[in-house]
Amino acid sequence: MKLRTLKTIAAAFVAVGIGMGTASADALDTIKERGKLIVGVKADYIPYGFLDTSGAIIGIEPDLAKDVADKLGVDVEYVPVVSSNRMQFLEQGKIDLMIATMTDKPDRRKVVNIVDPNYYSSGTNVLALKKLGLKSWDDLNGKPVCGIQGAFYNKATSQKYGAKIVAFKGTAEAYAALKGGNCAAFVYDDSAIVAKTKDDAWSEYEMPLPTIDDAPWGLAVQLGEDAFATLMSEMIVDWHKTGRILELETKYGVANTPFAQAMHEEYK
Amino acid sequence: MNKKTDMPVMLSKPIEAPYTPSALSYWHILPIIAAMMIIPSLAFSAAGDEQLSPLAVLKNWIPLLLEGFVFNLVISVCAMAVGTAAGTALGLGQISPNSLMRSGSWFVTQFFRNAPWLVLLFFAMFLLPFEFSIAGLTIPMPDWFKAIIGLSLPVMANVSEIVRGAIRSLPSGQWEAAESLAYTRRQTLWLVILPQCVKRMLPPWMNLYAILTMATVLASIVGVSEVMTLTGRALSAEGGRPDLLAPFYGFVLLLFFAYCYPIARYTLRLEKKFAVIN
Amino acid sequence: MIGGFLTTLKLSAVCLFFSVIIGVVGAWLQGSSFKWTRRFVNGYIQLFRNTPPLVQLYFFYFAIGTLLPTVENDWGGESPLLGNFAWAAISLSFFAGAFNVEIFRSGIEAVPKSTVEAAEALGFTKLQIYKDITLPLAFRVALPALNNNLVNLVKTTTLAYAIAVPDLLYESNQIWSDNVNVTEMMIFLLIAYFVLVGVLVAGMNRWERSLKIPGYG
Repeated sequence: MKLRTLKTIAAAFVAVGIGMGTASADALDTIKERGKLIVGVKADYIPYGFLDTSGAIIGIEPDLAKDVADKLGVDVEYVPVVSSNRMQFLEQGKIDLMIATMTDKPDRRKVVNIVDPNYYSSGTNVLALKKLGLKSWDDLNGKPVCGIQGAFYNKATSQKYGAKIVAFKGTAEAYAALKGGNCAAFVYDDSAIVAKTKDDAWSEYEMPLPTIDDAPWGLAVQLGEDAFATLMSEMIVDWHKTGRILELETKYGVANTPFAQAMHEEYK
Repeated sequence: MNKKTDMPVMLSKPIEAPYTPSALSYWHILPIIAAMMIIPSLAFSAAGDEQLSPLAVLKNWIPLLLEGFVFNLVISVCAMAVGTAAGTALGLGQISPNSLMRSGSWFVTQFFRNAPWLVLLFFAMFLLPFEFSIAGLTIPMPDWFKAIIGLSLPVMANVSEIVRGAIRSLPSGQWEAAESLAYTRRQTLWLVILPQCVKRMLPPWMNLYAILTMATVLASIVGVSEVMTLTGRALSAEGGRPDLLAPFYGFVLLLFFAYCYPIARYTLRLEKKFAVIN
Repeated sequence: MIGGFLTTLKLSAVCLFFSVIIGVVGAWLQGSSFKWTRRFVNGYIQLFRNTPPLVQLYFFYFAIGTLLPTVENDWGGESPLLGNFAWAAISLSFFAGAFNVEIFRSGIEAVPKSTVEAAEALGFTKLQIYKDITLPLAFRVALPALNNNLVNLVKTTTLAYAIAVPDLLYESNQIWSDNVNVTEMMIFLLIAYFVLVGVLVAGMNRWERSLKIPGYG
């Protein structure tokens, strides 16, 4: 009997949860009316989106978002997102635009409108102590490997290569756990790892494995916002043409990535 | 007071001297926390001398962290207000003459009391909508608001128990006397019972508030920009230097201690004061 | 999933055990005649009672954990002496232990002085009095408060999630991030904890009743 009551209560809560959803008008109109573009970006991911000491979000992706706002002639507001909530935020209209290091995946395209062409790319690799001498992904078998909650490659790394994933909420915790020796390696985006290995404090660490799952990143708008998507598509082409992304990489101290260079060549 | 017992050793009056926590002032605890913050980072000091020292880095971030901490306090006050209002209603429901009401309130109380705070917080985060639409009016529901709701659920259940306990602890003569004076049930409750309960409820209620304040950091796990979240972001903005962890987390410990310890002392004082009266 | 449930049970059991030990030892030390011993115990209690357990956990795991000597491990690297499970157990035991000290202390205070004096007159040593006379009586007096705290402790083990201890919450989180079935998992989690804590509360209440000192309190 208790269980039934419990189920009723639970069902009531769920019902409250479902009674939502808003049909928005054209996003561009809404943004202009509001005078503000709300963009979901990362806040714990150097150099793509991170905090300065005043608490403002800076980085490559916030700068790109600012370009969009300038083009529309409105102000910009950044909403910090994490991997596990960024698509929900966009879907529910909490943000207008998401530029948050998201890998372009077919199943994600069903949920949000990922704009072509891709603006960036990275693959999966690990950061590990040089003296471990990792050679191939299979070397991770049975070892504890730090990861970030909600990242898609956690599952692949554990199922394909038999690593024991120890998933943390943020990068700071994962880096600390790696440095503390709690994990043999940290599985993450290769672009971030390359930047890390150049850091003096991480000189004993390397990126030893061949990059896998090299996949482009997509920025996204809500499904059905075709006018906005077209505008974003033009923006991305323009970024590639003018070398804006290469410029931002340099500004935030990362080596120019092959993908950004190739796209610059292609659209030049 | 002659109690019947099979353990006569327990009969004599409890010893007279009540416990007085040897007055630990801030000056005893602050150095401990300071040491906790500094010593671990010394262990790393050998590495890289062109970097800012950990405490200098911390100094840069302190204004932001304080801002985050104020946010924690705002969340705690709001959740306490919501939880107390709902909990009082639920507690009164637990002593309602209507048996359906009674068992319903009892069940809700037990349910939310037994669920871990963190699980309830996840529950509120994921299952509440991002915005409400009421009669064409769209009210957005930001994360911090959901955190307040998530945290007020366990507060509600605990307040409910506090209210029930306090009312039960009053001698039934109070009810009977009021009844004989032709007070209605509602009048008895509001004019006779509850005023007397407030005093009994205050210390446990304040304890609960301290617990709630400390639970606000849980909101970091679900992504609200409070002090722990900001600490995590600050640490990653500094590139995940391991020597920064102790000063940063130590600083957060310090903030909470500075806020909760006085509350705990004051609660203890109140407890003693009311214990004499009763 | 079952693994997560077992981890939660294991973590709870370990923490219950050690927090009670800390409570007993702490309460004994608090009765010490050395001023500094008492101060030390008080400092410990106040520090742990008035700071968030989550921050304590982070502090133990990330700050203190990195200071300990490392050991050679089976994958050829050097890992800290204690893993995340151990740190979760230590941190949560200390947290709950701080409450237990106070609970035992109030129990000990309820034991009449004359009883202790009688034991002294019979030639019991200080330790013997504590172990054989005071503690068993104090335990029975303190049991309701102790149970309450232990139930709280079981709920607090969910925090271990933050340092990736694969407990029930962590496992559920992994499942819902892979399969996007948050609602079902959430309801399952709530029910699972409700049952777990409910069983614990019921068991504790029975125990409480059977150990109650008749006519007292």
